[in-house]
Amino acid sequence: MKKLLEVKNLEVSFQTYGGEVQAVRGVSFHLNRGETLAIVGESGSGKSVTSQTIMRLIPTPPGRIKNGQILFDGEDLVKKTDKEMEAIRGKDIGMIFQDPMTSLNPTMKVGHQIMEVLTKHLKMDKSAAKERAIELLRLVGIPMPEKRVTQYPHEFSGGMRQRAMIAVALASNPKLLIADEPTTALDVTIQAQILELMKELQKKTNTSIIFITHDLGVVANVADRVAVMYAGKIVEMGTVDEVFYDPKHPYTWGLLASMPSLDSDDKSELAAIPGTPPDLTNPPKGDAFAPRNPYAMKIDFELEPPLFQISDTHYAATWLLHPDAPKVEPPEAVKKRLRKLSSNYPQPVIVKESE
Amino acid sequence: MQQIPKEMFQPAAAELGEAEKISRPSLSYWKDVAIRFRKNKLAMFGLVLLVLLVFMAIFGPHMTKYDYATNDLMNTNQPPSSKHWFGTDDLGRDVFARTWYGARISLFIGLAAALIDLLIGVLWGGISGLRGGRTDEVMMRIADILWAVPYLLLVIILMVVLGQGLGTMILAMTITGWINMARIVRGQVLQLKSQEYVLASQTLGASTSRIMFKHLIPNAMGPILVTLTLSIPSAIFTEAFLSYLGLGVPQPLASWGTMASDGVQAMQYYPWRLFFPATFICLTIFAFNVVGDGLRDALDPRLRK
Amino acid sequence: MAEKQKLIEIKNLKQHFNVGHGQVIKAVDGITFDIYKGETLGLVGESGCGKSTTGRTIIGLYQATSGEVLLNGVSVHGKKSPKELKMLKRKMQMIFQDPYASLNPRMTVADIIAEGIDIHGLAKTKEERMKRVYELLETVGLNREHANRYPHEFSGGQRQRIGIARALAVEPEFIIADEPISALDVSIQAQVVNLMKRLQREKGLTYLFIAHDLSMVKYISDRIGVMYFGKMVELAEAEELYRNPIHPYTKALLSAIPLPDPETERVRRRAIYDPSQHQYKDGESLEFREITPGHFVLCSEEEYKKYKAMHS
Repeated sequence: MKKLLEVKNLEVSFQTYGGEVQAVRGVSFHLNRGETLAIVGESGSGKSVTSQTIMRLIPTPPGRIKNGQILFDGEDLVKKTDKEMEAIRGKDIGMIFQDPMTSLNPTMKVGHQIMEVLTKHLKMDKSAAKERAIELLRLVGIPMPEKRVTQYPHEFSGGMRQRAMIAVALASNPKLLIADEPTTALDVTIQAQILELMKELQKKTNTSIIFITHDLGVVANVADRVAVMYAGKIVEMGTVDEVFYDPKHPYTWGLLASMPSLDSDDKSELAAIPGTPPDLTNPPKGDAFAPRNPYAMKIDFELEPPLFQISDTHYAATWLLHPDAPKVEPPEAVKKRLRKLSSNYPQPVIVKESE
Repeated sequence: MQQIPKEMFQPAAAELGEAEKISRPSLSYWKDVAIRFRKNKLAMFGLVLLVLLVFMAIFGPHMTKYDYATNDLMNTNQPPSSKHWFGTDDLGRDVFARTWYGARISLFIGLAAALIDLLIGVLWGGISGLRGGRTDEVMMRIADILWAVPYLLLVIILMVVLGQGLGTMILAMTITGWINMARIVRGQVLQLKSQEYVLASQTLGASTSRIMFKHLIPNAMGPILVTLTLSIPSAIFTEAFLSYLGLGVPQPLASWGTMASDGVQAMQYYPWRLFFPATFICLTIFAFNVVGDGLRDALDPRLRK
Repeated sequence: MAEKQKLIEIKNLKQHFNVGHGQVIKAVDGITFDIYKGETLGLVGESGCGKSTTGRTIIGLYQATSGEVLLNGVSVHGKKSPKELKMLKRKMQMIFQDPYASLNPRMTVADIIAEGIDIHGLAKTKEERMKRVYELLETVGLNREHANRYPHEFSGGQRQRIGIARALAVEPEFIIADEPISALDVSIQAQVVNLMKRLQREKGLTYLFIAHDLSMVKYISDRIGVMYFGKMVELAEAEELYRNPIHPYTKALLSAIPLPDPETERVRRRAIYDPSQHQYKDGESLEFREITPGHFVLCSEEEYKKYKAMHS
């Protein structure tokens, strides 16, 4: 598998009157062709900023890319001019949002919005573009596309609008699709349809997807790999099985344990993560999760943890993996999910020292 | 691998209370607005200008020994000099004294008109928006009808019926001036009354007046303030405009409008008589406008972090 | 729940909105159910099914088109003296969905929490008022330093707890929670749900928990009602509803929930609900019928027989 996207040590911050908010603090990951990477995290974890930075959609100022590279097909997007980015946005990289009205123009017919992409990026002529637009609407499961193509976004229902937005994003056959909480505002049955649709389309077009969400159920459904973000950093990353069946970071444990299980009648108290995420104007010393971490050790308040590699694909940044750390038991709810994975190394290996 | 002492791996989970701490200093909404307003250089300049203008309106007439109304027919139409700083007019009155005396009247008219607009507008718009339905319909139609009456016609009729004077002038301005404020307030109230904190207050059993004064008006304060600040210069301008048409305050009272109107007639020979009042009208309107714009930017929630 | 005592009775409640041009939206279209003292009744359904409207009509934010709501056997709606109305308002409170919109941004936390105390005159002196505010802050896991701060300084979860403290200030018996956690992050949702459960234990509260997150609803609820287009289609004990859903809509809804388990997700088969599948004949009356004890389904006479045969 070839890497389509590689993000290296990305740092993004925003200047506010209260000081500098370090929204993304050294994020590195890659994305293979035809693969779906889910980025999970709470609001303020930097997941949306990361994706918007890839699209170069963060307003500068107050935003600033302080450091890092975004290699897309071997080219560094950080160095591109706004003009060059315009040619890439909507052509090579498509984006869908939680609220379709932010990316659909309410004063333009849906068909025209798709045709615009086709004529601009693919240099199609008008009649061919129209035909293709109808085809795309049909592809995303909108009934009677011939009629729908001449309607305005407000004439579509919520789920249909989301589909229309996906059609606009897919019009130019992008190599990468960034989906920022695309189903959060939708009902579960519509959400299920949209997720099925995205997976189906991916199979046909071999598009890579970055899927940003806070819903672990959705992650389990769509992702090949998962990156868990906390306070502007990736704290754990691995294949979906590794993260769900052999999580290593206490924050991932917390996330998994705080969800009630549908299958059991267990009514005992949920294992909530106490407290609130840190203020990124002055990130705490050491591990940002330490103040909320019931497993925290002295070292967590002093030094940032190094990045450990647990298998070829599984990484976690926590001192708990250090050979000197005491052996701890994850919460009950997590212990139930644990499985022995054969791909694990005999010992976690440090791949990046703490700073 | 780094060397780390073993004891660093002792469990040391934080106290739970710690995690609830708020590290930023407390900042009320208005403090926050003040910070942003102060960063706006143009608005601050406007504010300083306004303070100076008000200061001069209060103390200016006392700085010179001349009175605004005393004729001195020996010294008519004197150019600015060390004796008469802004010169004199066709009756020998000191333009400096008249300018600052006029400032009082102009600013007073502006402020009074704006405050009356505020009072009527907030009540009218607030009740209309909160009650909704039929009440809203009737109240807003009344406003529409008033708005549709030709303004100048109304002013002239008022002047004829009530006679020229300061009171008539203010009445003439407020008779339709409040409508704009009422519309703004109504729009705000309509938008705010379905907010969940208003519903919460309702479920707690709050009375209508409590909802109005504790929840709706404080939250509509931003747009109200901006409208208020921007309606003062328009009142000042209207005053000048009416004075120019000969519908201003009667002699010997001076307002910038009447002074400019007199000055225009002698513009070619005695330009200072127009220059000073006209300059201060412009400066005042400019200052209020930039302050209003600055307030709008400072209050805009979309810029809030 | 040894002796099931009815706290709330809802009888054939209807809420129709006139949207002009002779069009009427039947947001709530004749629903009947009881809520027992000390229990949590979950209400689920998709957006537009009328679950939030149901909550708001029960608490009197909307005037019901028809039907009755009884609290301890006393009708909540209809003509009441202001005094009676105030007493009723104290007994029922609401927790709102959006923690960012449910707190007045211009008021301090102390004033927000004390609003009910002020309205109902529950504190005689300023000191007593502040003492209550501090107690309430501590009850919801915040501390007294937070009292003089403004809502925008708090995180979503903290704000939601302030909203809970505000509701608790008037010592209600019954709380309607309208999607109280759907705007919160996963890790914070559990905090709020745990808090609500603890308060229920300590104060004997009764909840109507409205949500679209079905796994959380199942966790917190004793019984669950499923709504579809203004009607309640199924009502049963939480476990029973998940184990043996009867109405095809409930089945479709349950099958659509993504679970945090990659293996089950890989083999997920989603049921699709098509209202025409019932093939109701004209004039066939749909009623809420009890299939097994405590398990009600909206069905026709024919379906009733079928369901009954399948489930006994």
